[in-house]
Amino acid sequence: MNRLRLNNAVIKYGEIIAVNGVSLCADAGEMIFITGANGSGKSTLMKGIAGLLPLTSGTLERTQRMSYVPQIEEADRNFPARVSEIVITGTQRPGKFFYTHDDKQQAQNAMNELGIMELAGREINALSGGQMRRVFLARALCGQPELLLLDEPCAGLDADSHKILFRVLRRVLSGGCAVVMVTHDISDVDGMPEAKIITLSDGVILNA
Amino acid sequence: MREVLELLSYPFVMRALTAGALISVCASVLGVILVLKHYALIGHGLSEIGFASLSISAALGLPVMLVSTPAIIIASFVIMFVSQKYKTSGDIAIAVASSFALALGVIAGRGANVSAYLFGSVLAVSQEDVIFAAVLSVIVLASFVVFYNRLFLITYNEDYARSLGINTLFYQFTISVLTALVVVLGMRIMGTLLISGVIILPALTAKNIASCFRSLVIVSGAVSFIAFTAGLALSFVFNLPAGAVIVMTNTAILIIVKVSVKK
Ligand SMILES: Nc1ncnc2c1ncn2[C@@H]1O[C@H](COP(=O)(O)OP(=O)(O)OP(=O)(O)O)[C@@H](O)[C@H]1O
Ligand SMILES: [Mg+2]
Repeated sequence: MNRLRLNNAVIKYGEIIAVNGVSLCADAGEMIFITGANGSGKSTLMKGIAGLLPLTSGTLERTQRMSYVPQIEEADRNFPARVSEIVITGTQRPGKFFYTHDDKQQAQNAMNELGIMELAGREINALSGGQMRRVFLARALCGQPELLLLDEPCAGLDADSHKILFRVLRRVLSGGCAVVMVTHDISDVDGMPEAKIITLSDGVILNA
Repeated sequence: MREVLELLSYPFVMRALTAGALISVCASVLGVILVLKHYALIGHGLSEIGFASLSISAALGLPVMLVSTPAIIIASFVIMFVSQKYKTSGDIAIAVASSFALALGVIAGRGANVSAYLFGSVLAVSQEDVIFAAVLSVIVLASFVVFYNRLFLITYNEDYARSLGINTLFYQFTISVLTALVVVLGMRIMGTLLISGVIILPALTAKNIASCFRSLVIVSGAVSFIAFTAGLALSFVFNLPAGAVIVMTNTAILIIVKVSVKK
């Protein structure tokens, strides 16, 4: 089953062409790594797939059940909220306004899986950078996505968190979720021999 | 004390009390979102632009409310859009535009009697104002109950909400319209120059006390209600303009809370 089909996508910031004709397909249970130098257009591509930046040209088809973990969360660290409140927002969907019992269960499961259960009641301004990343991963997971977009999720994670992340990835992949993940670390790729690898350079895919 | 209670038997006092309390609570509850999203300037900009439209329509002999309400709603969209798109330079643009609007309003309205709008007047509250304030409060409070989770998400991180497929523009639009209506109604009682204080100050006070979004909203509403009733009573006792005393009360509460709560 197809989760993502991006065809000849071009994304511009004003005059700057950040993504220049990228095509990308991901089926259920498929893992795609995106690598490339700083400024090569990886994050821009992810934002385009997430629907946060419009495509100047090209087409995008994807499942509505998508979770996106940005490279940098552009939100106020001093926002008055607890970890569990942030995590459960991942279950929100258009047209659905209240959390169900199942949503609460999913949020618990996600926090459990990422080992942040003991942080659940903590205010978010009292978290370390790495703990915060785990919170965002938990938020992405509890939406039970069919497509998971991760923009450099390993940056700032310790060995333990790294292991947890890959365990989670294997689980969601076997459950039929497609994963697109930006990374600079080749050892990430080695851990997933069946994954596709795409290298971006100046907004263009180098290999195919 | 007896005098204050006696005042309650006057219909105009009851009208001012009811409409004012409702508007104060609405203003402060919306203020939480505006403060957290760093849109604190919006209330200020809107009220000054509102004053200009009031003055101009009064000078031209047009129906004041009928002209100002849409004008303020449109201004709220423009301000929301500009402050989001241009961040800091947007704030500067809003400050410039609203000072200009205030100056324009003062000049345009020099023939008409607009000073009541500048500083507010409890005598100006009509029966319709009370009804509008009640309807507006029901809408604002119901929105917070029904859309609480959504408002929480959008206030925390709009981009993430958008990535989930949520139409964030609709919520922004709603918040803009509700804020604009609060300003229109509040201008009459609190005054153009003072309504923005009623929007922002209780939320700032609440930020020192509350630790989650829900309690922030509740505390802000409660603080605003207390400041309004206390301020109105004090203004009667000392025969001072109500809007100014209400904003003074809000400021005093903010300072007391800030000093006594070390967070
Ligand atoms: N908001 C923006 N406005 C204008 N140009 C931008 C913006 N964001 C990124 N760019 C430009 O677009 C290009 C691609 O940026 P992008 O963030 O996608 O790179 P990246 O591959 O994710 O890099 P990194 O490895 O550093 O995260 C760069 O040349 C960058 O300067
Ligand atoms: Mg990047």
